[in-house]
Amino acid sequence: MASGYIVSRGVLTFGIHCHHVCRNVLLTQTREKKRWMKAYTLLMERKLKIEGLPPPKPRSQKPNWDYHAEVQAFSSRLKENFSPELLKTAFVNPCYIQSEKERRQALGVDSETAALVLGDNIQLNTQGLEFTKSFLSDWCRASFPSLPSKGVVAIVSHLTSHPVVCHVARNLAIEDLTMSAQFPVPDEVLHSTFLAVIGALQESSGAERAGLFLRDFLVTQLVGKDLFEMWSVVNPMGLLVEELSKRNVALPEPRLTRSAGAGTVLPLYFVGLYSDKKLFAEAPGETVLAAEEEAARVALRKIYGCTENRRPSNFSAAEEKLGLLPSIHQQQLKDMSPQAL
Amino acid sequence: MTSRGTPSRFLQSVLQNGVGRYVCQMKRISLIFSKNGQSSLGAREFIEEGVVDFAQKNPGTVVYVSPQSCRIPKIVAEYLNGNVKEEAITSKTSQQIAELITKLTNQSGLDIIRIRKPIHTDSPSIQGQWHPFTNRPLSIGPIGPQKQQAN
Repeated sequence: MASGYIVSRGVLTFGIHCHHVCRNVLLTQTREKKRWMKAYTLLMERKLKIEGLPPPKPRSQKPNWDYHAEVQAFSSRLKENFSPELLKTAFVNPCYIQSEKERRQALGVDSETAALVLGDNIQLNTQGLEFTKSFLSDWCRASFPSLPSKGVVAIVSHLTSHPVVCHVARNLAIEDLTMSAQFPVPDEVLHSTFLAVIGALQESSGAERAGLFLRDFLVTQLVGKDLFEMWSVVNPMGLLVEELSKRNVALPEPRLTRSAGAGTVLPLYFVGLYSDKKLFAEAPGETVLAAEEEAARVALRKIYGCTENRRPSNFSAAEEKLGLLPSIHQQQLKDMSPQAL
Repeated sequence: MTSRGTPSRFLQSVLQNGVGRYVCQMKRISLIFSKNGQSSLGAREFIEEGVVDFAQKNPGTVVYVSPQSCRIPKIVAEYLNGNVKEEAITSKTSQQIAELITKLTNQSGLDIIRIRKPIHTDSPSIQGQWHPFTNRPLSIGPIGPQKQQAN
């Protein structure tokens, strides 16, 4: 082409770099200021504003991904011996199998020649859920012996709830390995995948190792959490009266202990609960009723041994998977007994 | 920029790492280098001698080695909390690259920004947080200075 010859004669004079893409097409690059760059950048920004960000892609569709190596690294990172087939089955969700079948049908692939030989994780999921619930209830009962069963159920359901389990699963890289139909992986699917992984661990290494895994990753989510954040009690005073009558302690009498700023916009009232003329809980509030309710909650926390200044749970005992009973809690119980009061 | 103008965070760990077992927070490391560029010389030497030992010592991290034609060799480290950190290793020696990789392995994936306090506790007070009513006799009504007891 004529233009090609003209350009190639200008190479040495104008410092243009040419390279042949094929015999008739020549691409030129110059090192001067690119006058088209500003227009191009503004156009692409406008396009981004109109269309929004590109949809997120799963990690498996980005470069540098080896599923088998990732699964192996997953099990060694957590220092657990998973059986590889069980673990890979645990990551396969029924929605993925469904979508794969539909995709193969849509592509016209014969279902006999290319059969999808992948197991579901539903069974592992139910197994894992059962085991998790029983382990967590046992752990709660061992750590907080005087917590009633309603409280134990509340804590266990908080720990197995979608937000907590999905938070743990996302920070353990389970989302990368999950095979599901949609991306980003919906909470439900991630929740069931995590429980299926627990089930797989239980089958591969036994109940003890699975228990230690749950203690190290799910129970640690209780650190820094208050009891009544997880267990919503509507009438703490009624519950307190029940608890004290069960222990044969005199019923609580609320008395106003301190007040400040009674006529102002921010009043402060301290209400103390007295059992048999001895103070056992005191709490502040904006109104007298709010302070009384808060004092009942403080008393309940003391009774159940879930105060903020209790001895922290022992997460390092490898041999006893349920952990040791806290001894400070025993002391507090003695304080609550009729003899002490 | 001042500390108010730049982002900051509190001291924290990902998923209470270390309270239970310790999990190495780096899940993936990719070495992108060129087969023929001078800037990738250190990277190529590291791959010849050090990368296999590193991969054996850290079985929980997947090591990807990808030769591409690139001007700047890079290390891309991905962490369990989703953060991705890219470091250029142009014209670094194999020793320097090894040190950089150990540094990246020991980091959690949290942002390297100003940490507001070098401490964190979940039980800030054992005997109860002091408030102006602590250790004062019970009283309802206006609060004034306590009468000194006669010694």
